[in-house]
Amino acid sequence: MAITGVRTPPQVHRFPQSKYIDAVRWLPPLSPLSKLAVLAIYDTDADSPSLETHSISLPASLTPHSQWTPPTRISSLSTSHQSLVAASTLSGSLHVLSSAMQVLLSVDENSGFHVGPISGVDLTGSECVSVGEDGRVNLVSVIGGGEFKRVYDGNGLVGFNCVKWASPTEFVTGGFGYGLQWWDLRRAGSGGPVLQFKGNFGSQGKASGMIHSVDIHPSRKHTCLAGGSSGTVFAWDLRWQQQSIVLSGVGTGEAVTHSLSESEVWEVQYDCHTKSSNISSSRVLPAMFCSEDGILAVVEQGEEPFELLAEPCAINSFDIDPQNPSDVICSLEWESIAIVSRP
Amino acid sequence: MSGENQGGAIVPYSEEAKKPVVYPLRHGLKPPISRLGISWSRGNSLRVTVFRQPSEDSENEVGGKAVEVRLDGRDGEISDAQWRRIAYGSVSPFALLQSRKNSFASLSKISSTTSPFDAEWWEYVLEYSKDISSLLGNQTSTTQSLIEDPKEVLKKDPEPSNLKAAWELMESFYADKLSQAWLPERLVDWLADYDSLFSSTQETVHSKLVDFQKDLVSLQVIEDEPKYWEVMSSALAVGWLDIVVKLLRLHGSYQLDQLGNRETENGLVEAVAVLISKMPRMRPELEAGKLGECFKAKPDFMKAWEKWRAQIAKLECSTFWIQCAHRQTQEGLRNMLQIMLGNTNNLCTLTCHWMELYIAHFLYIRPFTVGLESMYGLAQKCIQLKPMAASHRLMGLLIGILGENIEVVLAECSKGFGPWMVTHAIEVLTAGSHQADTLLHEERDNLGGISMEELHRLVYAQVLSSHPLTWQIAPIYLTSCIKQGMGLLEMLLYKQPVDHNQLLLKNLEICRLYELDSVSSNIMKIAGMYNWKHGKKGSGVYWLQQARDEARLNRIAQQMFDSVGRSISDENFRQWEGLIQLLGSEPKTAGGLEFLHNYRDFKKSLLQIRDGKTTDAARQAVESLISLMKNPCTPQRFWLPLLHDSLKLLNWEERPLLNVLQTNLLLNKLQELSIARLRPDFIEADLPPHALSSVRLALATNLGRTTLEEQ
Repeated sequence: MAITGVRTPPQVHRFPQSKYIDAVRWLPPLSPLSKLAVLAIYDTDADSPSLETHSISLPASLTPHSQWTPPTRISSLSTSHQSLVAASTLSGSLHVLSSAMQVLLSVDENSGFHVGPISGVDLTGSECVSVGEDGRVNLVSVIGGGEFKRVYDGNGLVGFNCVKWASPTEFVTGGFGYGLQWWDLRRAGSGGPVLQFKGNFGSQGKASGMIHSVDIHPSRKHTCLAGGSSGTVFAWDLRWQQQSIVLSGVGTGEAVTHSLSESEVWEVQYDCHTKSSNISSSRVLPAMFCSEDGILAVVEQGEEPFELLAEPCAINSFDIDPQNPSDVICSLEWESIAIVSRP
Repeated sequence: MSGENQGGAIVPYSEEAKKPVVYPLRHGLKPPISRLGISWSRGNSLRVTVFRQPSEDSENEVGGKAVEVRLDGRDGEISDAQWRRIAYGSVSPFALLQSRKNSFASLSKISSTTSPFDAEWWEYVLEYSKDISSLLGNQTSTTQSLIEDPKEVLKKDPEPSNLKAAWELMESFYADKLSQAWLPERLVDWLADYDSLFSSTQETVHSKLVDFQKDLVSLQVIEDEPKYWEVMSSALAVGWLDIVVKLLRLHGSYQLDQLGNRETENGLVEAVAVLISKMPRMRPELEAGKLGECFKAKPDFMKAWEKWRAQIAKLECSTFWIQCAHRQTQEGLRNMLQIMLGNTNNLCTLTCHWMELYIAHFLYIRPFTVGLESMYGLAQKCIQLKPMAASHRLMGLLIGILGENIEVVLAECSKGFGPWMVTHAIEVLTAGSHQADTLLHEERDNLGGISMEELHRLVYAQVLSSHPLTWQIAPIYLTSCIKQGMGLLEMLLYKQPVDHNQLLLKNLEICRLYELDSVSSNIMKIAGMYNWKHGKKGSGVYWLQQARDEARLNRIAQQMFDSVGRSISDENFRQWEGLIQLLGSEPKTAGGLEFLHNYRDFKKSLLQIRDGKTTDAARQAVESLISLMKNPCTPQRFWLPLLHDSLKLLNWEERPLLNVLQTNLLLNKLQELSIARLRPDFIEADLPPHALSSVRLALATNLGRTTLEEQ
């Protein structure tokens, strides 16, 4: 798809790593001159995972800072404003670290925490929520010393891929069948999600799809942004629970003409750098997504999508720098990191 | 291909492979070892399983261990990670060239005038070749320091690689049509860039220069040192003019305090330096910093060459030499003049191996050499005069190219540089000549009906497939293989693990790209069963639904009814909520599980009745009950529990909720159930013993009431 003319293309810096990058997140910088990012790395040759912070000074350098070796490969990564890093593993353990890679807290996989890999984790303040394909939803308090609280156990009958806090007591999860679930800890007694949504975007012979990533904007907690199979990016507004606003996707028929990607959307985030022309509360804020077919793009309701990167390989994860939202870091399938600096 | 002398091997292998290599095993088990199992693991690894003899005294000992042994088949020059980077980088140029080739092919079908060997086509091939070349290492562009060290004669280049050197040879001879007219000069440049590669096995002009560079700092009177003159002459012989001139200018006579009394000597040194820098070269241009005068047209070049030689001859006979007091300078400079005049003996002693001598011949003895045939003849002569200390893979390749033997070139590429090189070099080779094109595309019976091009692509794809990070790019190469590519691609896709969703989805994405719908649905079935067996029921059902696998969904439904039937309480039922949500209302994709969906609705209405006792909810519950009982999907063993749950509905106080027809349906079902109970395989529901009779009584009462009302 053509890039809309007027915008100046972003600067892209690439850093080959010779190791697979499972996930990337920005961290608050240590000094004003450089940036700091945390990378979940997997060395296939040595079969060894690692979690590393790298300080980045553009245009040219990416220097390793500190490092920690997790028990198994990292499955999900989340950072908080307080420079804390939460990392979950494929074996089902959860670790909270400082930005100097000092382990503050670990929840062992043998403690009945999760069965199998943890697929999503989100850290806010001192609370960390984790979800897995086993259908369990667990809460871990950073100050709690390794104890966890079970919010829900789906016994494998349901599974979750991702999770995001909406407020200190509410969060949203995403999973199979384009399903989204809204949880409220104040109403935890009911034993399940407070609200559920099942997307029905099936077309082209595909029955359904998965949600891989969700995001919630701090100022509009009633709108969940979700991305998943078949290039689908949509918003679910709690005020109109039964329907969704599709921002991008193939399975949507004639309603949506813009679709940059037809494959898995691995990650979505609200993009506060792109200024929306229409700031009404009913409109969905601009969103960024990355996909299996190598697209990093910004989509906005009713606007032409804007492509930032079109790679020959998958873009598996990205993060918009909260301090300086013009900078985006992404991890590419072909063992490299790219940093996109927007004008 | 030299099939005969390799015992019919399809892919040539080197003699060195026959030497045994010892790999130590670190299994850490106490002897005695009773059994060994060896199997292939992923890629180039062997999985060795070591079993101990079970003994009574060591019960706590580990009984066995499996270790992986990596067989190192790669050359040490390029690390695995670098190979992967090259593999990733070559995907786009390769794919682009293939798509251009396809569009060219379809064009030439329409108008027979365009052939793929048109001028336009080789420009695409050259572009491809340059893209590939850029992956193999930086061009000799070193960051130059602002203050140039006058004593640094040899620039420190990043380590050149054999692979890049080989690729540049291929590019010069096959891809770059413009360079055909000045191939000897391209070889001069090539040796200047890559002479250091031969230093490991023997002395080279480059290694001489490196040694001398070390001594240079400590030398006081440089022109007294015989090595100075020798190194300079050697460098001149292979045409590194800029280095020679730089060295000459270090001559002591240039120093201000000596200029006065060594005026003639200095004049001679400078005269030689000027002559060197004015050397005519048969080439379009020179890199910045390199010396010589370029000529594009042959007549101009010949004229200039004659003039230049005349100047050298004139200087050689000059009377100034007698006035030159410094013996070493006089001898050294005259030696250099002899080199430029093409003195065969001098050239032969000053060069270290045949390639250097070959270059010297091009520069000073046969500057008008054109055509591969005469170049090959000259090469043979040089090899006889100055053979190499050890055989080198680059030399094998070069001789193959000069000998115009495509098979040898291919074999050398494969033997010396591996499957990546052959696969990508074939594109350049076929662009070079019709002969290569037919040779490589001809279908061969001894290869099972595939062409050599396809064979090498398949081999490379196998290499890619064996690594967990590169298997995803193997499809690009496999799909360019017409005969066996798709079959191997399907096998590759089936082989991938399904235990992680991300990998699974990447696999399915490849299926989607190549429209392999049946493969995709089989993989989803495998994933579904895998997840189901590992307790992830939700994701198991999801994948089976995606695959539209009704047979398995129905069987799963049976298993699920068992667990639902066992614990029919509302508490447990909440847990099923997510799964039921997933199943949705589309009966096509749900299989027998549609029942669960209706059952959930029924339960919901019942729950509402208990809470609020509304007649509307009761009516809804009845509707659900009837549709459940009508539906053939509803398993028989649920009939009684369902009816027992609806006792309240049957005995509704205000008025009967079921009409005569509905009541009769339920009575019939009850009758059917009573007969079924007599069969030995009937499973009794976990209900109070009087359940059946109370249901029957309620139904009878209801029938009575409703008949009265309807009258």
